[in-house]
Amino acid sequence: MHWSFFAVAALGLLLAHGLRLPRAGSRVLSASAFIAGLLTTAFLIKSLAAANGIGRTTDFDRFVNAAVAEVSQDYAPIIVFTGASYSRNGIDPERLTLALRERGYPHRVVSLSIEAASILERDQHLQQFIELSGKVPDLVFVEVAEDFDHRAAYMFGNSKFSMRAIEQFDLAASAWTGFGILGGACQGLKGCVLDAGYLGLHTALNVLNVGLIGSGERSASVTAVPAYDPQSEPREDSEHTLSLTSAPASIYQGPQWVRSFRYQQQNRLLAQGARAIAYYQPPTLDPDARAYIDGLCEGELFAFDCFSPNDPKLMARLNGDYWFDSSHLLDGGTAIYNLWLVEEIIASGMLERSQ
Amino acid sequence: MIFTDVIFFVFLAIVFSTYWLLRGKEARLNLLLGASVVFYGWWDWRFLGLIGFVILISWLVAGFAAKRAPGGALRRLALIVGISANLAVIATFKYFGFFADSAREMLSTIGLDPGWTALNILLPVGISFYVFQAISYIVDVARGDLAPESRLRRVALYIAFFPQLVAGPIVRAASFFPQMERVKSFSSTLVFAGLRAFALGFAYKAGIADNLAQFVDPVFGDAQVAGDTDLAAWSNLALVSATLAFGALIYFDFAGYSLMAIGVARWFGFYIPKNFDHPYASPAIDDFWRRWHISLSSWLRDYLYIPLGGNRLSAGKTYRNLMVTMVLGGLWHGAAWTFVAWGAMHGAALAFHRAVFKGRAAIGVLYGLIATQVFVLLTWVPFRAESFADTLVIWSAFTGLRNGGSAEISTWVWLLVPLIALDAMLGKGGLKALKTSRILRQPVFYWAGLGVLSGIMLALYPLEASPFVYFQF
Repeated sequence: MHWSFFAVAALGLLLAHGLRLPRAGSRVLSASAFIAGLLTTAFLIKSLAAANGIGRTTDFDRFVNAAVAEVSQDYAPIIVFTGASYSRNGIDPERLTLALRERGYPHRVVSLSIEAASILERDQHLQQFIELSGKVPDLVFVEVAEDFDHRAAYMFGNSKFSMRAIEQFDLAASAWTGFGILGGACQGLKGCVLDAGYLGLHTALNVLNVGLIGSGERSASVTAVPAYDPQSEPREDSEHTLSLTSAPASIYQGPQWVRSFRYQQQNRLLAQGARAIAYYQPPTLDPDARAYIDGLCEGELFAFDCFSPNDPKLMARLNGDYWFDSSHLLDGGTAIYNLWLVEEIIASGMLERSQ
Repeated sequence: MIFTDVIFFVFLAIVFSTYWLLRGKEARLNLLLGASVVFYGWWDWRFLGLIGFVILISWLVAGFAAKRAPGGALRRLALIVGISANLAVIATFKYFGFFADSAREMLSTIGLDPGWTALNILLPVGISFYVFQAISYIVDVARGDLAPESRLRRVALYIAFFPQLVAGPIVRAASFFPQMERVKSFSSTLVFAGLRAFALGFAYKAGIADNLAQFVDPVFGDAQVAGDTDLAAWSNLALVSATLAFGALIYFDFAGYSLMAIGVARWFGFYIPKNFDHPYASPAIDDFWRRWHISLSSWLRDYLYIPLGGNRLSAGKTYRNLMVTMVLGGLWHGAAWTFVAWGAMHGAALAFHRAVFKGRAAIGVLYGLIATQVFVLLTWVPFRAESFADTLVIWSAFTGLRNGGSAEISTWVWLLVPLIALDAMLGKGGLKALKTSRILRQPVFYWAGLGVLSGIMLALYPLEASPFVYFQF
């Protein structure tokens, strides 16, 4: 909690005590005055919170702070992996850093990954990382997954009206998500209507700062927790079999909304000083999901370094007790995947190109 | 369903609009009774039978007593049966486990094993409040202060009226029954008067109290989970700060709930008297009890302290009556010895104040204020702590003699002191310019101010709301 809570609470008490029976007046004028008061206050509180770095605290802030702490002690070039749960379980920054350094590359890897994070939410926290650390990553690895590309408001399938859900739908993220929903990045007509409705509500809650001062904290003062979440035992009730078969090779373009977002994200990051942007997806047992990233690498992301796990050698090595469930790796699987990824990154030559 | 839940606002909107659309007093009262049943059943429908029993027994006994001769044995017998039945309900659901555990511990200290195991009985929400209202009705009728009500649904609405059902204020039958008979008409005055109380209560509860739990719970532990504290880890300053935060939390939480109850009742045309009058501005302990939980302290005064003899007997008996009243008042708050100790300390303080100062503010207002509030703060420790051992640890932190841990809580919590002072100043007529300003009554300024207040409350609104502290009582 921040001193601003007490300042805002004091103003609230002052107004609540000061409410007196109003005289009758024009309804239109009264409604306009109410809306003007509400929106002006929302704007001022948002400005106050932004100036003091206050936000609704989520686990993502903890991960960002852990990443900031990592890079603050290390002047090596920075590689950021930004993903969802696939990456939270499947990207071990320490392991990747060590493997790179053993091969003569000084880079420091950090992970900004959390369950159910859309590319929009991940981008917000990537910017938060840049602001808090004062450093722009040399390389940014952006996770790509079919389910996120094809459901712009993916968060609502996992959590609604939570701190994290409200915090992420600021006006910019809501506009992108709305663009996605309008373009059909949602599940059926009913799903699209529901996503649109929830988006409207969450945007309103975000704009009106619901819980921002009461539940918010200064992002920089949140306890740091590393993002990597190693799993040692398979998930209960999880049954899975490895499938080495892949869907027929295709060349994909992501949906329009995410293509547009990726395009502006690439330009922005490069303008900020990032040297290269790459795309990847940790392995999954679903051949269609692997085929999707494969197709993107050959299509929309052709001009970028793109690391698809749809490599039979990798998947053969992962044929065993390496799976937490059908789409997430156990720690042993992560070790195999991360070594494969390091070799692929080195083989791509992007580390040399980006220096 | 609590007053700060989104679902409550939906419920309230439906009941409010239907209430004022209905024509006729009976239809409206029936709607309020139905809404009260839904409101209570929303928490746990199984306990509707229990409150139904309390209503039925109170109606029957009061009706029976009223037909017997005043002062006669049968009327006295009815009074005893009615009070006993209500106390039996509360004893079973609230105190049975406590007394059984205490008896077992006492027997085990002398080497006897009674062999019974503790029963974990679910505490029906609001039981202490509606049982006290039921007793108030029976006693008032038996004393002849109130005419008995022949219609069961009237008694049911009095006991189960949803705005004050689960956490008070404890409304007196003599005040509520005439209000049911009054024909009410909708007016903007009624709406704005209700809004004023509700908005202030919402600011107290959702704006302030709910956000203070983050200071209190990590130190004192979850009030519902025994043995989850680790006081050794906390510094002395953290323990003192958490106690201060709890003092603020319980005030803003309970006063906030009471104000919201008053506001909601007002929207239906009912008047419920205020339950708090800025108790942290009290310069003496007796004054504190005239301002804190006014409906309970006046209930205890009228139905316990005065029947025991009040201050009409010898000085010694007056002190005894004060002690008995406050100890039972402490026990009313919760089935634990720490609550008994809290009540006993307040009883002793009231007796001491009476004996030494005899009603005079002998040490001056400022010193009196400091002494009273420090005492009140210290007594919140056993009220909130999970055990006497924890209480002693926290008290020792106040002395600075304890070797504390290193864990801290934000020192911003001390800003609660000026916040409470500001609230008291505003509530007690401070800033007269603000109160008497004609400008603020101009519709544009009023609505703009309400917009600003709404913006503030939304920013302070806790995304994870806490239940009202007094629900557990």
